[in-house]
Amino acid sequence: MSADLTERPGHGRYWWRGNSTGLKLARHTLALLALAVVMVPFADLEILTRDPWGELARMAQGLAWPAWGSLESPLQALGLTVAVALWGTLGGMLLGFPLALLFSRSRLVRAGCAFVRAIHELFWALLFLQVFGLSAATALMALAIPYAGIFAKVYAEILEQLPSAPRDALPRGVGRLSRFIYAELPLAWARLSAYTRYRFECGLRASVLLGFVGLPTLGFQLETAFREGRYHEAGALLWLFYLLIASLPWWGHRRLLPLLALGGALLLGPWPAVEGGLLWRFISQDIWPPALLEGDWRGLIDWLARIPNLGPAIGNTLLLGLLGSVGALLVALALWPLASRHFGNPATRLAGRGLLIFLRSTPELMLAFFFLLLLGPSLLPAWLALALHNGALIAFLVARHADAITTGMPGVNASGRLAYELLPRLYPGILALLYYRAEVILRETAILGMLGVATLGYYIDENFEYLLFDVAFFLLLVTAALNIAVDALSRRLRPKETAVIDDPCQR
Amino acid sequence: MAGEPRRPLVAFEAEDLGHDDQVVLPRLTLALYPDERIALLGPSGAGKSTLLGALRLRLGDAAAWCPQQHGLVPQLAVYHNVYMGRLAEHSALANLWNLVRPLAGPWRQVAELCESLGLAGLLRRPVGQLSGGQRQRVAIARALYQQRELFLGDEPVASVDPHQALRLLGLIEARHTTTVIALHQRELALSHFDRVWGLRDGQLVIDAPAQQLTLADLDGLYPDADTLAASPQEETAPQMPDPEALPCARGRP
Repeated sequence: MSADLTERPGHGRYWWRGNSTGLKLARHTLALLALAVVMVPFADLEILTRDPWGELARMAQGLAWPAWGSLESPLQALGLTVAVALWGTLGGMLLGFPLALLFSRSRLVRAGCAFVRAIHELFWALLFLQVFGLSAATALMALAIPYAGIFAKVYAEILEQLPSAPRDALPRGVGRLSRFIYAELPLAWARLSAYTRYRFECGLRASVLLGFVGLPTLGFQLETAFREGRYHEAGALLWLFYLLIASLPWWGHRRLLPLLALGGALLLGPWPAVEGGLLWRFISQDIWPPALLEGDWRGLIDWLARIPNLGPAIGNTLLLGLLGSVGALLVALALWPLASRHFGNPATRLAGRGLLIFLRSTPELMLAFFFLLLLGPSLLPAWLALALHNGALIAFLVARHADAITTGMPGVNASGRLAYELLPRLYPGILALLYYRAEVILRETAILGMLGVATLGYYIDENFEYLLFDVAFFLLLVTAALNIAVDALSRRLRPKETAVIDDPCQR
Repeated sequence: MAGEPRRPLVAFEAEDLGHDDQVVLPRLTLALYPDERIALLGPSGAGKSTLLGALRLRLGDAAAWCPQQHGLVPQLAVYHNVYMGRLAEHSALANLWNLVRPLAGPWRQVAELCESLGLAGLLRRPVGQLSGGQRQRVAIARALYQQRELFLGDEPVASVDPHQALRLLGLIEARHTTTVIALHQRELALSHFDRVWGLRDGQLVIDAPAQQLTLADLDGLYPDADTLAASPQEETAPQMPDPEALPCARGRP
């Protein structure tokens, strides 16, 4: 299809040709949508429960009339949730910061960080559970290790983007440490602490989720209550969690943090009696195929042949990642105007903001669990959960960005304002954010397997349950490789020439 | 002056100066002698910063440096920004402690210096909260605090009023034997300096004692002044002191 250069700008036919940013992004989006539509028939989207609406009504009732009285020691679960999040984030920070300084210089550090990032907190928890049992050590390491990888990358990016003028102005012969504490750290401090704060909020969500594998955080009681149909109790626990997130600016104040950390340290527990021998056996033997350790290549091939066919699981993981991303895009496009100052009245805006906060602070696994009870175990609940959670997160950032824009033409009606003033300015950023999130979405699809959705995570969970650590660890490696590949792909596809919306939540 | 048998501090002989792969000042010939006060003039983009950067590289520890963007850290207090001028003279541990609690000796010296620059009472204030002129004086204070023989300044008096500019130049001169200062105020260049270097389009078109130059000569450096000053330029052209120092005729197309 060679384009005729002298061709006049078309009207009607061939409107999609052209090289402007808008048209490029429109083609990009339509291709993505078309791909999703073509792939939908391959996804298992059946509704498997008999009475989803009745179930939904009962859940809504539970949320509307929470049974505060029937909670068993909620404060202790709450305290442990906060303590795990705080110390997990702190641990990640302490490990990640030195790595950030080496990040740009060492390929090994970059690869290692990409690997630990690519595995979800819950999978790390499943892994450490085998060695440390249901203990604080498992919870802390499950958070600290992937966060170390994330902190290393994000801190390194922040330090890289610092203005070089203060460094250049220094006299010769200033040592590396002095240069860092005078000409780099003060400049980076605000962004470093803002990101760390955001990560702590993610840590709170992850800490709740650790309850799903049996650690006694808020999620443990939440899951039990949901599974046993005690929705009023589950409602009370959910409200408790939302209050915790909403009141974070007050109790998570900078000055209170040392106090919280000390108090949290006392709450952490129980501590495992670690047997060095056992730990070493797990690392050196249990997680590797026996044939590999013996150097028996024929045996290794047999071992590989005995692994269940991973094709469908990988297919489902990727499919869910694609559908989840496209769904998140649609949700974000539909929801952001609700929370923006350019549309509606104060009441609708308040409701819109409330909805977005509700959707983005509910952990995605929690949402999926909720839809799973409602719709049964197919890809549908997972898709809905991913699209809603990530879509709301993107919509929140877009709305905040839109509020900073002053429109050029006063008095245009709402649809005109959306189509001519705001969307052209915001859409490139929305798409860029989506591609940032694609990797996160894929990481989450794997984890949804723990709820019975047939992704890779399902098989990982199953093999841990059967104590087939070698297979489970192999599947973890496959998941990590898949994530790294998708991250690289989305980095390539991401529209480049765009004004990126400032995003504290790149992951 | 050119005939005196003094050794130059720095001499460029037909050297290409620039950064990365880009040559900004091709085949530059220039010498800096001790005890000279030099004004560096030229329109934006003529290569003033490149020349100062090259001088700084050659002179090394002998020169105090006051960069154009100041290179200040807005989050740190005035005291710490000035202290950074002698960061290399203390151990990392002392530097670290100094952030927590200022060292007594440096604090006294910086306070004294800041007083003479009209920054008294601002020592603990973060630089980000200061006005443009105040920041400029902090940048100068930092360069003075280095206590070097030479002073290299990239427009150190660009954003202060004329009277203050005079006072600041006086302070700089009092503490350095040799200075090279880029500036835009032509009158100041003639009244306050021994020698003028004039850059235009990457060429050194003026290298002459200030007494032998007129304002009209300096106008020739600025392309926007060409149309306005066409006739005075022709009048002053024969008075040019040293044709050797003017590789390119002024007023060329």
